[in-house]
Amino acid sequence: MSPPFEMRHVTREFGGLKAVSDFSITLERGELTGLIGPNGAGKTTVFNMITGMLRPTAGDITWNGENITRLPSHMITARGIARTFQNIKLFSDMSVLENVMVSCHYSIHSSFLAAMLGLPKHGREEKRIRKHSLKHLEEAGLAPLAYEKAQNLPYGLQRKLEIARALATEPGMLLLDEPAAGMNPMEKMELAAFIRRIREKSGITIFLIEHDMKFVMNICERIKVINYGQSIAEGAPDKIRSDPEVISAYLGGASHAQG
Amino acid sequence: MSEKLKFRFNVASLILLFGVLFLFSRYGSGYQVRILNNIAIFITMAVSYNLINGVCGLLHLGPNGFIAIGAYTSALLSMTPAEKQINFILDHAIWPIDVIQVPFVVSLIAAGVVAACFAFLISFPVLRVRGDYLAIVTLGFGEVVRVLCNAAQSVTNGPLGLKGLYPHTNLWWSWGVAALAVVVIQRLINSNYGLAMKAIREDETAARAMGVDPFRRLMLAFLVSAFFSGIAGGLLAHLITTISPGLFTFLLTFNLLIMIVVGGLGSTTGAVIGAVLFAWGGEALRIVEQPMEIGPLTIPGIPGMRMVIFSLILMLVILFLRKGIMGRSEISWNSVESMLAVWRRTQTPP
Amino acid sequence: MSLTLLLQQLINGVSLGSLYALIAIGYTMVYGILRLINFAHGDLLMVTAYAAMYGVLLFSLPWFVSFPLAVIATGAIGILLDRAAYKPLRQAPRISLLISAIGASFLMENLALVFIGGVPKPFPRPDFFGYVFKVGDLHIMVLTIYSPIITLLLVLGLLYIVFKTRAGMAMRAASRDFETTRLMGINLDRIIALTFLLGSSLAAASGIMWAMKYPQINPFMGVIPGLKAFIAAVIGGIGNIVGAVLGGFLLGLCEILIVALLPSLAEYRDAFAFLLLIGVLLFRPTGIMGEPLIE
Repeated sequence: MSPPFEMRHVTREFGGLKAVSDFSITLERGELTGLIGPNGAGKTTVFNMITGMLRPTAGDITWNGENITRLPSHMITARGIARTFQNIKLFSDMSVLENVMVSCHYSIHSSFLAAMLGLPKHGREEKRIRKHSLKHLEEAGLAPLAYEKAQNLPYGLQRKLEIARALATEPGMLLLDEPAAGMNPMEKMELAAFIRRIREKSGITIFLIEHDMKFVMNICERIKVINYGQSIAEGAPDKIRSDPEVISAYLGGASHAQG
Repeated sequence: MSEKLKFRFNVASLILLFGVLFLFSRYGSGYQVRILNNIAIFITMAVSYNLINGVCGLLHLGPNGFIAIGAYTSALLSMTPAEKQINFILDHAIWPIDVIQVPFVVSLIAAGVVAACFAFLISFPVLRVRGDYLAIVTLGFGEVVRVLCNAAQSVTNGPLGLKGLYPHTNLWWSWGVAALAVVVIQRLINSNYGLAMKAIREDETAARAMGVDPFRRLMLAFLVSAFFSGIAGGLLAHLITTISPGLFTFLLTFNLLIMIVVGGLGSTTGAVIGAVLFAWGGEALRIVEQPMEIGPLTIPGIPGMRMVIFSLILMLVILFLRKGIMGRSEISWNSVESMLAVWRRTQTPP
Repeated sequence: MSLTLLLQQLINGVSLGSLYALIAIGYTMVYGILRLINFAHGDLLMVTAYAAMYGVLLFSLPWFVSFPLAVIATGAIGILLDRAAYKPLRQAPRISLLISAIGASFLMENLALVFIGGVPKPFPRPDFFGYVFKVGDLHIMVLTIYSPIITLLLVLGLLYIVFKTRAGMAMRAASRDFETTRLMGINLDRIIALTFLLGSSLAAASGIMWAMKYPQINPFMGVIPGLKAFIAAVIGGIGNIVGAVLGGFLLGLCEILIVALLPSLAEYRDAFAFLLLIGVLLFRPTGIMGEPLIE
């Protein structure tokens, strides 16, 4: 069976500058893979292309046998790829619960007319959405804060909410963009456990960007390294740790990572 | 508060409202009835407008266009062929306008539907852009509609407008539509559809990433808003019985903007409050434009003073009372209950 | 249509375009730095026109004193406008700024209405500018020739300031990256004030010429030209000064030529500008001088 996710020779140019160049990767179902590289290496650009926020200049991206290269973001989410953001992009003025309920919108069955007329079909749908969202909040440990405004949450919990929100779209693959940024060591341990739990429970494929080396080496089964938009290494954590090219990329002049 | 109790309170309020309206329709003066009709029509317009600007967060500057479309559609459909003959003196009305005539209620629904059709058409250029561009494009739409109404002599009778419309609009129609608009639009806002719209307002990129299609959701808001704005236009036409393109300028948009900003951008309750304050305040401020006699002095009226005061109020609200009266909150039975609870707690001795 | 008529309309179009260009520059400069559509910008035309008129009629100043004074005064009012209506909202959401701008615009128009009255007043146009001379079959007013020349001179002056002075460099930096410019220790308040001063002065110059071209002035005279100039700025690529100038001339030419070639559509003249806008926004939203959108 072919791997569910593939990127083939993906390139992204910005007026002559290649932010990402000839990037290829395949991900198997249920794999936990990390994407690392110095600052500005192109990692978030890769994520943005996968999720339809940017269009590749060349190459293609396949998910579950379908070419998703040119699809808009919302359709890619509907097909089962969800993401979190490097800078938290929660719906600040909305409650924690409402943030998660938005994720159910694309799969809503009742029409807007049913909503406007207050038909029972719509009431049932709203109940289902509420239940589904509360369930995801419970799994993330956020249920007690369901009616708090998202912007009032402490930083670490905001990051968790972002993940819960993405999971509520019932994805087959989850992209996490620096999920541990700004967290203290204990929070990072909790996060790592949380991510492992997610993978165990639902078997979804996880692809994550991180700067914290310890975190990445600890949790990822496979790591891909990118520098100046190009893939420079790929493999198990131990192999990557001792790869000379990776080491020189981090120590040789470019901004270095923590950990 | 249980759903059943809320429902009972809602029904009771409606009965109360219509009871009050009945009293006014029987015993109120023509002036009072007119103001009440105005308030209701403004409420419908403001609540529809708030859906786009407040809930979806788009700066839509063309509601005057949809109101105009509704007014003309309703007027042209409800007038008898004879009345049209009298009006269209420069250029005969084209077919089928010159012969068609339908009952008032049909003309109102048609007004809403036609306005919604226009909203559908302009969604395509308008929703490709955001922010300032969207503001200008919608402003342009409103202007284009007005110019078209002025120029299309054989359709709208051009600058002469349409006179002698039958005053179908009464308190029942205007307040019935207003109540319907408030209920239906608020239901939409409270539903998951409304959540999607608010999400687009908060962070469109994140909304997209969560599966929301901004184009479809915003177009829906546009259609609903235009529908009710069109009906409000029809009601307006049959209230003042004379319409002309000069009635639907950017000034109308500006007035609606004042209503929803002062009331609280994003709040339906705020839109209602804003509409009431505007209609009532507009009447009250009329005195500034008429000559006043204080003892031996006669202070001359100052035309344009009303607009100066309105502009000042808008600016003061925007600069100092950023969120308007209600902010984004609504008054619901739940909030009334909690306010009563708080008040009761301050009354009981420790 | 005869060649002379075409030539006549071309000259008219260029002249009208030059007026739009001057106003458009003000919009584009303010938008470039503050990302704000200064709705009240068009009303500055009206302010200058009345100031110039009262300078001549009330204070008996000769026009070559009254007109420049009016321009300077309007430049100052532009700075005042920013201080009162926009500065307090620097951190507010964009919709608040836009509403404030609309409010300021209405306020200015209606204050003029209240204090001066809505009856159109004749503008004291110096005979020199109003003189119409003949070249063969062409009838050309002196003003029509001077407008593009004055515009060009002013634009060149502005471009010098923007590209060859340090203040101009600061302005360009601020329009590229507001936050970073502030972090570099540049006094942004001064830069913004300078932007408003320059933009408003140019609009004021256009206002004088506009009042001379259509010598009946009223409180709402700036509304339509302002709107059209904004459209010109968008067509040229909002934020880009050269684009604003190009857009202004383009719009002026198109407006005159359309009416000349299709006189039955003369009533749609104003709507045409908006239709052109919608067309540009559909197919090339960043305008003529803007970079084409990648995605």
